[in-house]
Amino acid sequence: MTGRVRGVGRQALALPSVGWTALFFVAPLGLLLLYSFGTTNTLTYEVQFGWTTSNYTGVFHGLYIDAIRRSLLLSAGATAACLVIGFPVAYTIARAKGRWQIVLLLMVMVPFWTSFVVRTYGVFNLIGDSGPLAQLLKSLGLVRGGGIHLLFTPVGVGIGIVYSYLPLMILPLYVALERIDPALLDAASDLGAPPRRVLRRVILPLARPGIVAGCVLVGIPATGEYVIPQILGGGKTLMVGNVVANQFLDIGDYPFGAALAIVLTLIVMIVLVVLRSRTDRTEEPVPA
Amino acid sequence: MTRRLPSPRVLFTILVMVCLYAPIVLVLVYSVNKDVALLHWKGFTWHWYSQALHDSTVRDDFVTSLQVALLSTVISLVIAITAGLWGRRASKRARRYFDALTYSRIVLPEVVFALGLFVLFKKLSIPFGVGAIVLGHVVFNSAYATIIIQARLATMSESLEEAAADLGANRWRVFRRITLPLLMPAVIVAALLTTTFSFDDVIVSQFLGGTTAETLPVLVLGKIRLHVTPEVNAIGAGLMVITLLTFTTAGLITVLRPTGAGSTLGFGRKAAE
Repeated sequence: MTGRVRGVGRQALALPSVGWTALFFVAPLGLLLLYSFGTTNTLTYEVQFGWTTSNYTGVFHGLYIDAIRRSLLLSAGATAACLVIGFPVAYTIARAKGRWQIVLLLMVMVPFWTSFVVRTYGVFNLIGDSGPLAQLLKSLGLVRGGGIHLLFTPVGVGIGIVYSYLPLMILPLYVALERIDPALLDAASDLGAPPRRVLRRVILPLARPGIVAGCVLVGIPATGEYVIPQILGGGKTLMVGNVVANQFLDIGDYPFGAALAIVLTLIVMIVLVVLRSRTDRTEEPVPA
Repeated sequence: MTRRLPSPRVLFTILVMVCLYAPIVLVLVYSVNKDVALLHWKGFTWHWYSQALHDSTVRDDFVTSLQVALLSTVISLVIAITAGLWGRRASKRARRYFDALTYSRIVLPEVVFALGLFVLFKKLSIPFGVGAIVLGHVVFNSAYATIIIQARLATMSESLEEAAADLGANRWRVFRRITLPLLMPAVIVAALLTTTFSFDDVIVSQFLGGTTAETLPVLVLGKIRLHVTPEVNAIGAGLMVITLLTFTTAGLITVLRPTGAGSTLGFGRKAAE
């Protein structure tokens, strides 16, 4: 078969994919890039192309830099929280007996397979001021008076992100931890290492690829999150994704919105490159 | 080892599991709660479900969601299968650029390219609606489908195809009778996943739907933001069941018939690797 497929026909197979990507992915991004250097005519609302950088300097002012900072903090915080919560869970699953591993993994994945919007709405119900969490905390006497004030705050949005992306952290952690030979852990403790030291010197270094993969899977989408702050942030706790969308859909300042979108893209790329460089480092032997 | 480690870890795992299911259970419980204000349990009712089923907006939006999902799945599969076949013969360098394009469609924030498409369609006067949503969904769906098909092709030996060609089958016949059947498990998994992703999508659907087309998740989002009637719980519960069923089917297929797609399956829509 190889020899009979002639050059041109063979390359044509790439056409649907490359064509679609060029028209509906590269072209729109190119247009955004072009817009981001343009200006809006304040009378006609028409975009005039140009080479101004004022849109980009505008991004680093007040409201907008706040949204960027908030996005980065929320993303980093949620990723860290996912790691801290997910690690013991993944470890428990990895050390469970055969069939239980599959059952527990499925239990982690099933919530992830239900509708994203509806799940987030469930969190909305749960952490509301009159919701079950508030009632539980009140009956335990941990909270008094008005409510727990989580909804429409950065913490509330953070809870939503952690809830939505936790399975994406647990899965790669499980894969990495499951591969660790239990004999190594026994050897370490037989040689007198206390559990804390076994964790720090044996388990964590070996789990590193899983940790990095989990951080990529959580951190990247969290940085550009749009739906969760829409539901749990209530128009107050906005992230960059929401601010960008507002510029296009409500305010109509395309050039400025485009500049914000390009900045968001760059941030995501930088985060990815930084995390990627950590993966490469895991190829090196672990220092003794 | 398990015995030596303290059980707080196990207790913690149970607590996390409870937290993972609490919001979902809450939606299910609210969807059958008589209380309009949703503050207390006032008894069981199917009322919200029947209200949702008789709501013409819900029905229209369900049909729209279905149309979008089916169309975007079919187009994504065509793109993914041709891309997979091309990739088998491509040079290493070409393949590397190609894969970079595939992964960037998944990694880039959806808000960004959805807004890019919004601006592009406005500029070219392409009307918003079902067609526009499909165009957008195929951007990420075709990337996921391509990764799944590529994974399967990587494990497939070409000897059967070569034998068929030697016996005189033309290229189309070889594809239809040999390649496609061998590829089928991956095609089914890819189809189920892309259908779910499409059915679950909010951002592209919201930005490109215009005034004519609204999908179910967009309807739910709108209802949540406009302060909620209990009906939204019933719609949400229905939506969860649909996505869960398709995802679980895909999961079972990967478990029962390994396609090399297992790792892709777990990493939902916004996965990076």
